Amino acid sequence: MNKNSNTYTFLYATALVVVVATALSLTATGLKSRQQKNIEVEKKQNILLSVNKAGALDSVPDRNAYIEELYRRYIVEEYLVDADGHRKEGDAFAMNMKTQYDIIREINAAGVTDEEKLALRGKLSLPVFVCRNDDSTLKYIVPVYGLGLWGAIWGYVSLDDDFNTVYGAIFDHKGETPGLGAEIAFPKFFKQFEGKQLFKEGQFTSIRIVKGGAPAGDRHGVNAISGGTITSRGVEEMLKNCLTEYKPFFGQQERFKESKN
Amino acid sequence: MEAEKTGNNTGLFWKLFTAPLGKNNPITVLVLGICSALAVTVQLESALVMGLAVTIVTGFSSLIVSSLRATISPRIRIIVQLVVVATLVIIVDQVLRAYAYNASKQLSIFVGLIITNCIIMGRIEAFALANKPWLSLIDGIGNGLGYGIILVIVAFFRELFGSGTLMGYQIIPESWYIVNGGFYENNGLMILPPAALIVVGLIIWVQRSFYKV
Amino acid sequence: MENIISIFVKSIFVDNMIFAFFLGMCSYIAVSKNVKTAMGLGMAVIFVQLVTLPINYLLNTYLLTPGSLAWVSPELAGMDLSFLSFIIFIAVIASIVQILEMVIEKVAPALYNQLGIFLPLIAVNCAIMGGSLFMQEREYANLGEATAFALGSGIGWCLAIAGIAAIREKLSYSNVPTPLRGVGITFILTGLMGIAFMSFMGIKL
Repeated sequence: MNKNSNTYTFLYATALVVVVATALSLTATGLKSRQQKNIEVEKKQNILLSVNKAGALDSVPDRNAYIEELYRRYIVEEYLVDADGHRKEGDAFAMNMKTQYDIIREINAAGVTDEEKLALRGKLSLPVFVCRNDDSTLKYIVPVYGLGLWGAIWGYVSLDDDFNTVYGAIFDHKGETPGLGAEIAFPKFFKQFEGKQLFKEGQFTSIRIVKGGAPAGDRHGVNAISGGTITSRGVEEMLKNCLTEYKPFFGQQERFKESKN
Repeated sequence: MEAEKTGNNTGLFWKLFTAPLGKNNPITVLVLGICSALAVTVQLESALVMGLAVTIVTGFSSLIVSSLRATISPRIRIIVQLVVVATLVIIVDQVLRAYAYNASKQLSIFVGLIITNCIIMGRIEAFALANKPWLSLIDGIGNGLGYGIILVIVAFFRELFGSGTLMGYQIIPESWYIVNGGFYENNGLMILPPAALIVVGLIIWVQRSFYKV
Repeated sequence: MENIISIFVKSIFVDNMIFAFFLGMCSYIAVSKNVKTAMGLGMAVIFVQLVTLPINYLLNTYLLTPGSLAWVSPELAGMDLSFLSFIIFIAVIASIVQILEMVIEKVAPALYNQLGIFLPLIAVNCAIMGGSLFMQEREYANLGEATAFALGSGIGWCLAIAGIAAIREKLSYSNVPTPLRGVGITFILTGLMGIAFMSFMGIKL
């Protein structure tokens, strides 16, 4: 057949498309379950890291099994709460924090009336994960989500059962500048949050990220990343915005009330 | 081309394979494929994965296009080549996501950018379209590795001086650091994007003085 | 609106395609020997970016993202075609470039004489493909944001190549060490320009 004829070109293109489409869909469907498993394990790993578990990650032969095992052992409960702090139906683990962040962002946008805020808050379903440590104390883990310099940043913050003291925190990001903003994902930054307090004399203050360094002994502030001002500010905003929505939930917990008296 | 005339022999294979590693290096001498090369060189690990991915894609796309070369209509040549390359890249991306999740997260969009890596299209146009499949495979792999080598060299210096680590392991002793009472501090500039360009510029300088190009 | 302006300015100065991501370096190095041709290529990149990126944005939103087929019929909501994005993006870019080349040749021969030779080069320019992939990764909220990013990243690329071409013109009168001449010194200069551009990073709009 003449290679330059239209029919040849057309048939050739069709055959090529069929072959390529088959090859690609086979690869994609064949690998899909494994890819989703990776994403799931990564989320579990981050949740565990926020309560300082999964420390021996580099030395285990099978990471996935190790993470699954720890998750089963320590995370005893996961549930959703609404904006009033009451439990809500739904799968807490599958809840994508980005959807919640989109609502939170609308709530905090300029020019939103109180009624609109109320309606928006009605849509919230906030995940809570409960971890029971070996000494049977309970730690409560809440996810946070926000914007850094280039794109999304997110993390998990774990709290003691007084719902005031931070037990641990971990942050991750989509594409902050390596060496600057990307430092939020390193222990040097997120370890600072341990022992900090969200409330000052009963008032919610969140945690400030102080440029140039927080004063020693400041229980409500940590050091910002030098050269990563916008990312640091993003983390501060993220904590404030997300944790604000959890406040009613904190307020209903027994130990929280006790600690205020 | 001349490769067709001399036929298959080990010497030729060897020459095809080694030339791109030094004298005909695609990055430093032919200046191809720099686009996606530099952004992935902050850490040695991601540079290795990227080098490997590109080697696989250049090798197999050259092999496939060379096997098909008698059948491709000249009118749709470029599109056919792009489709072959894009398909291979998608497969590599999917496999990375399944089996090397962390590396694929670090490489993010740069895996997709392998498609527009000039080395691949360059080797197909310049070599695979005129030569036998096996020769093209060797040529493709050689060029992919030549690209990988530069990536690894750049990443070696950037990770060592920028973070004090290699493959994630601490190399510079902790006690050297100023915070621990020593005299040393990591060079923050090495982690930033422009450092990659400067390091490549210096490598070209060294290489060209060596080969007297 | 603020968001759109912020994306536009940021994509020119802060996440500059060349200085922050090294995209489109091949043609950047090859075609930056004098300012006139460099500007020609730069214009062509802005143009192609501005046409392809919004098209890819629409394809991504209504075809490729998981669950995006729901508008066709609810049964298709579970489909995930995201693995096809690379091939679709590159196909769109290659065909748009081809069509543009033909249209410009017919409609505006003068423009064709300026841009024509660069158009085929652009199909494999990483800045164009990279623009589409960044658009997908950063999940821009609407077509306006995606277009602002397209225009900004194109202008940023054009600015970079015009800048380096101007420097290289002057450089031809300087005594650079022989092995460093040409490509080597261009890399180092681009690195230095990149460091200068990094000072825009603290700016928040």
